[in-house]
Amino acid sequence: MTTHAKTPVDPAPSVPVGGAVGRPVDRRDGHAKVTGAARFSAEHHYPDLTYATMVHATIARGTITAIDTAAAVAVPGVVAVLTHLNAPRIRPVRKGNIVRDLGPSVSGTEVNYLNTDQVFWDGQPIAVVVAQTSVAANEAAPLVTVTYREQQARVDFAAEQHNATPAKGDLTFAGTKKKGDAEAALATAQVSVDLRYTTPGLQHNTIEPHATIAVWSGDHLTVHDTTQSTDASHKYLAWRFGVPAAQVRVRAEFVGGAFGGKFAVWPGTVIAAMAAKAVGRPVRLALSRKAVSRAAGGRTASTNRIALGATRDGRLTALIQDSITHVGSVGGLLEATSSPARHLYGAKNMLTRQNLVEMDLLPNTWLRAPGEAIGSFVLESAMDELAYELAMDPIDLRMRNEPATDPTSGKKFSQRMLREAFEAGAERFGWADRNPSPRSMRDGEWLVGMGAATAYHPVLRLVADVKVRLSNDGTALVQCGFHEMGMAAATVQAQIAADALGIAYEKVRVEYGDSDLPPGPMAGNSNQTATVATSVLAACAELTRKVTALARKTGTTGQEPAATLRAAHTPFLEASVGSTSRLGSLRSQGRFLATFLKDQRWSKAARGAQFCEVRVNADTGELRISRWLGMFDVGHIINPKTAASQLRGSIVMGIGMAMSEQTLVDPRNGRTMSAGLDSYYLPVHADIPPIDVAWLNEPDKSMPLGIIGLGEVGMTGVAAAIANAVYHATGRRIRDLPISLDKTL
Amino acid sequence: MDFLRPSTWDEALAAKAAHPDAVPIAGGTDVMVELNFDRRRPPALLDLTRVAPLTEWGTDGDLLRVGAGVSYRRIIEELGSRLPGLAMASRTVGSPQIRNRGTVGGNLGSASPAGDAHPPLLAAGALVELASVRGVRRVPVDGFFRGPKRSVLEPDELIAGFLVRPGGAQQFAKVGTRNAMVIAVCSFALSLSLETRSVGTGIGSAAPTPLRATEAEEFLSRELDWEARGPVPPSVAQRFGELVAAAASPIDDVRGTAAYRSHALSVLARRTLAWAWKGFREVGP
Repeated sequence: MTTHAKTPVDPAPSVPVGGAVGRPVDRRDGHAKVTGAARFSAEHHYPDLTYATMVHATIARGTITAIDTAAAVAVPGVVAVLTHLNAPRIRPVRKGNIVRDLGPSVSGTEVNYLNTDQVFWDGQPIAVVVAQTSVAANEAAPLVTVTYREQQARVDFAAEQHNATPAKGDLTFAGTKKKGDAEAALATAQVSVDLRYTTPGLQHNTIEPHATIAVWSGDHLTVHDTTQSTDASHKYLAWRFGVPAAQVRVRAEFVGGAFGGKFAVWPGTVIAAMAAKAVGRPVRLALSRKAVSRAAGGRTASTNRIALGATRDGRLTALIQDSITHVGSVGGLLEATSSPARHLYGAKNMLTRQNLVEMDLLPNTWLRAPGEAIGSFVLESAMDELAYELAMDPIDLRMRNEPATDPTSGKKFSQRMLREAFEAGAERFGWADRNPSPRSMRDGEWLVGMGAATAYHPVLRLVADVKVRLSNDGTALVQCGFHEMGMAAATVQAQIAADALGIAYEKVRVEYGDSDLPPGPMAGNSNQTATVATSVLAACAELTRKVTALARKTGTTGQEPAATLRAAHTPFLEASVGSTSRLGSLRSQGRFLATFLKDQRWSKAARGAQFCEVRVNADTGELRISRWLGMFDVGHIINPKTAASQLRGSIVMGIGMAMSEQTLVDPRNGRTMSAGLDSYYLPVHADIPPIDVAWLNEPDKSMPLGIIGLGEVGMTGVAAAIANAVYHATGRRIRDLPISLDKTL
Repeated sequence: MDFLRPSTWDEALAAKAAHPDAVPIAGGTDVMVELNFDRRRPPALLDLTRVAPLTEWGTDGDLLRVGAGVSYRRIIEELGSRLPGLAMASRTVGSPQIRNRGTVGGNLGSASPAGDAHPPLLAAGALVELASVRGVRRVPVDGFFRGPKRSVLEPDELIAGFLVRPGGAQQFAKVGTRNAMVIAVCSFALSLSLETRSVGTGIGSAAPTPLRATEAEEFLSRELDWEARGPVPPSVAQRFGELVAAAASPIDDVRGTAAYRSHALSVLARRTLAWAWKGFREVGP
């Protein structure tokens, strides 16, 4: 039933016709990336290109009263210094409805950069230097001197939490959810835990920092941008600069990792386009890693009360999660930390509440598994604590609370194989060898522990326009403005199209990453593979019908499609899903709503069972993770090789969250102190054990080809599995991430 | 910013005398980070990578003399048996790329309390050789550090190299927030000499400067059974650890609490003592 991910590499990777799906095909962009042939956003060449560096505010809240650019302007090579006093006026950020149009929602903040004297966070860009070289721009930027009138700022999350208020819910965000009377049930529960967990803010550190090249040609704007939402950002830029959307082209053929940090349009993109307009030349604005941490959002910090009540035999009677997260005063993602608590366990009485505190900090944003990364740490740690209170195996406790239908909505599950994932995982990991008592397993000076946790991430499907062309030379071209951020998106869609058309995998070319193509979905919420596949399959089916009809006419039935086209003297046939005409856009909205409503009939999710073994040094508290297994219920796998990489990479990211990553904000002034890889600790190779990933490979019958997106689920449950293993090893319960040395002693 | 590129040692000293505010740069693993982050903008950089003698090592009487420009990688590969403590510390510096570029001389020049090379140099009683157009002087390394990132180096002086007596048992241990490429939360080096029956120590990342635990050294040299090389009584190891921790003056910071550092130092002290003494007992001096 289970498929081992460590499939050996096929020495002669010839893919049989009709057998592309399910094969561990190499990434199509791999060669271009390792040889340097792939051009990333900051690497496109234009004659006359100029280089820009932003100047960041050094106060958290206030008004710019004076700004002196003379010294910066005097630096040789400087072309212009733009501030709110001389930058081109552009339209303010528009508020919008996410269901009608993603355009407005991609604004990272509500600030009209360089069009206002107001400062809303330490790090807000307030000027930009444009120069002949990046060296001149970098030299001049710190020479801009700014005088402020400062206001009291709210920058200390710990101190501001008493100001948190319950957040309102909407279609995309659950504010407060109630079932029964959870507090009363907790008070009378036979066994209960009532706990407080905290997680720090986290920063985006993709291998490619955010960068933009903006080029104006008359009223036409081309932007090479590090984005995972070309369609939404081209609409957004069209609005901001007051030109028709058809005149704005956003290109992102290769994106060096995104993880949600490149979904929103951050200041660099807008300011690059603004600067290019002002100087009448192409502008490249590539952020330093420090600038990314000051001008592109990360994950909110959180404080969570989690309380569980149960009967002595381990049936949950009460589940309460009360979370506090923050947003900026000028925007920020409502991080749905209660998502796992609402969907994982069949508690009779439930209360989940999201509380928000507004702060004068850089607005936070999506970061891999927003909501679930935090929520699964909180819930899955608390389940482990309850299991110890009950003297019950933690996996057994989870299985006793497997719900028949979704615990909050009551909807049927389209698929739920969590039990099978835990069973197969426990067997493969050797869970039964574990002595359940804390501090009972030892290897010399190392205390050994094993931990498990549930992984959970919901399914989202958006819409994609797709055009497929089949040519009489036997090749096919798939066009869709989706995004390739390193997860093999094009490879997988080529596999799907090849099998759907009945042609060889190598004959399928895929074009993506360009807003001039038929609009694809944003790449986020693990939606892209299934979303694009839905339309690719529909277009290929229509194309196949056309070929079949033509074959009947030309008497070539049974021959390969190209033979039919040649017999009919037809150079190519095309089929499309969606169109960008006004009517086409309306139809797309309709398709989105129809898909959304159809998907809403079910409770759908990617799930999994995470297992790890840790070693904690009894004397120094050093934590080493020695083994990992993730056993996933993630539908039908299109490409085992790239799926394994995605899951493994997610687990590595979860290990970083558990062990070392944290955004450090100076509580006096709101400045990020961890603005660089020297002070923000990502895990290194030596921190990562061999990671075994496997999956049940059971298709979700409600999804195209049975696909469930797996880009994020691997990160969930990781921190809890580690914290649970640390408890098992040491007897110490870590409720505040990261698990630093001093906490384990 | 001026970029001075002397090709001989005399030229380098003359350049430093003429430009006392020039910042010397060798591997650049500290200096370039500071420039990149705009933490400092010196009027001039003095590139020492063309000065060949800096990358040489050899003997000077009983002592081993190592040029300031010898990289961590070469310390590991070429001097691992003669300076095992320093080689152990060098293995924990950054990544392979950083170890290819970074130098012990640069580490001394930066004088960071967390510099990985400092504890083994302190434990080994190294001398730092400083030179200027005025002449050459050799400063014991425990008198070299003056404060966080401050040393006795005069504005016209350059670090020529360091001298150390090879031999004895040397150990180094470091605790960090992750398993590699990390600044020490605290570190400790130990050196034992059968010949002189002496103990050397070096503490990193637990005080404003790297420092020795002199009381701990005196205590241990008194208590060790040098003659028969008998086992170290647990009470002695315990007391040694306490004295090492007492010598430090750690602070709370994002990498760890002061209490954790004190605790970890005493662990590292006991641990390195056990390793070093075991080595003596098994293979002799």
